[in-house]
Amino acid sequence: MTPSPSRNSSGTFFKSLTVVAGLLLAGFLIWALRSLILPVAVGGLLAYICYPLVAGLERFRLTRGLAIGLLLLAFVSAGLFIVNRVRAGIPDDAGVLELRVRALHNVNRRYQALMDLDPSLTKGNRIYQLVREDLDPLLNRLNRVLALTPEEQSRFLSLHPQSADTSTGSDRLQDYHRENLRTLEVRARPAVPRAGPGDRGAATSAAAPKRPPKTPLAALAALLSTWVVAPAVFLFLLRDTGEIKCGFLRVVPNRLFEPALAILADLDRALGGYVRGVFLESAALGISVALLLALLGVPINWAILIGLVSGATNPVPYVGSAVALLAGLAYSLFSDEIHPLLPMIRAENVALWMVVGVAMIELAKNLLLEPLLLGSTTKVHPLVVLISVLGGGILFGVVGLLLALPTVTIFKALISSASHQLKAYGLT
Amino acid sequence: MKSGLLRGVKKILVSRLEKTDSSDAEGVSALAAFGPVPAMAAGKRGGSLVDFLRQVTLFEELSQAELARVAQSAHERSYRDGESIYEQGTPGAALFLVRKGVVEILRRKRNGEEVSVLMLEPPASFAEQAVLGADVVRWTSARARGPVSLVALGYSDLEALGRRFPLLANKILLKLAQIMAIRLQLLLEAEFFGGEAPVGSSQNDPQP
Repeated sequence: MTPSPSRNSSGTFFKSLTVVAGLLLAGFLIWALRSLILPVAVGGLLAYICYPLVAGLERFRLTRGLAIGLLLLAFVSAGLFIVNRVRAGIPDDAGVLELRVRALHNVNRRYQALMDLDPSLTKGNRIYQLVREDLDPLLNRLNRVLALTPEEQSRFLSLHPQSADTSTGSDRLQDYHRENLRTLEVRARPAVPRAGPGDRGAATSAAAPKRPPKTPLAALAALLSTWVVAPAVFLFLLRDTGEIKCGFLRVVPNRLFEPALAILADLDRALGGYVRGVFLESAALGISVALLLALLGVPINWAILIGLVSGATNPVPYVGSAVALLAGLAYSLFSDEIHPLLPMIRAENVALWMVVGVAMIELAKNLLLEPLLLGSTTKVHPLVVLISVLGGGILFGVVGLLLALPTVTIFKALISSASHQLKAYGLT
Repeated sequence: MKSGLLRGVKKILVSRLEKTDSSDAEGVSALAAFGPVPAMAAGKRGGSLVDFLRQVTLFEELSQAELARVAQSAHERSYRDGESIYEQGTPGAALFLVRKGVVEILRRKRNGEEVSVLMLEPPASFAEQAVLGADVVRWTSARARGPVSLVALGYSDLEALGRRFPLLANKILLKLAQIMAIRLQLLLEAEFFGGEAPVGSSQNDPQP
């Protein structure tokens, strides 16, 4: 007995309705749970990266649990080491005040030297005539950010009393501070010091809608409540020895079993290759940037910190190198003295070396590392990269920026493999 | 040794060899045809997947722990009577083990007519070429004869097992090579000697 055409069409209608409802529900869930996307993705990606390491340890007849435990121990030790090294380089409150005074002084001094400004800071060389309209407001904004508030000034002065010995660093900082005040005064549009925490609260309270005060503990709890998912996902996926795949394939109809198996294998290969490739590329970028900065005279703690941030942001196209360049340039502009390891690098040309070095790293990454580590299977058209990254950023913020490219890569691999396998199995 | 390596296959193939008309144009295809489902074909009911895997020739060299690892990666599938397991001309992504029921292996002629090649019962394995990694295109079709339970092991599953336990994967692949060599020998015997072993070869224990 053959089913009637009307039954067939109603069946197709209900199937389509179910698919549309499923897609809408999936979209709603993704949107509603978007705060969990990044922790889940980070946990999953880390598990993917670590899977071969655990498999390697299992070859030495270690149980999977023990292998994961050893891996975690190694991670925690490495993390603690890095955090300690970085923390040692991060200044305390007094150090931040000193840094701001020094940075304000050096930025203005170098700007004046570069533009050949007169004491009134209104006349300079030809370059200044060309770019003053653009650069002066920028410098004023930077001055506003770096300038000390009256409370901070009194705190700074109490921390750095005048001493008889004029060669001390403390006196030099006092000189810087005095020069800073003079510069801010001389400039035609004097910079308004940045509001302190108390002032900021008063200024914004009128404009901004009132929110319940969030204690640091509540903020930490909110952060932990979502980020606690990451290690759970990481351990769960790393512990899995095929159960998730088997569970998924169990619900696949028999005629689609082998195509699904082949598509999953293709996806696993593509995603695994991509994640491991990006991880290695990010690690290479981070190490190269740290080495470059150390060569250019940036203290090793800062070089490691900037290298770490640069490597961590590398999955977003061009951001890793941009972070390295901006942070390196900022350091070379703000720092008081630079002690490069190479003799031809001097304080005057360190910024140029920084640009050249980062450009060479970016070139080597694009021309050598990417083809070697990522291959052509995960290659995505630059326009698709741009649109997906911007679209991800608009829709999901930082999470979208970070996960746009992996998502596009997975979809590309999925569509390519599904079309190939379904055709090979005669299902299309 | 041969009977050990071809558990589940040999009975049907040999029983058909006795009745084979060697002048059949299809040669190998004519060695087997539809036959009554053997009484034991329903297989042993109950028992864990590890217990079942232990009976399979492919895994007979494996320890209990290794069998458990294979079981974790294996996929249990159920098929209705007449349902296709795979079709001739499609790529192979998994090997199959007959856990319950009978599986018929068919070969489609150029004119579209399908000829039965083999009948498989538990604990036979089939479509093993798929896990050898080559771009295998299946030269037969497989269909369920009555309700069938199969255990499938994908190429990717074996690859993943190999990354974690190279010795285990090596044992499986070695056994697979032996099975395929014996099958090739059986097919050659059937094709050129009508099921009689050629002079100089031992009928009971051929060397793969």
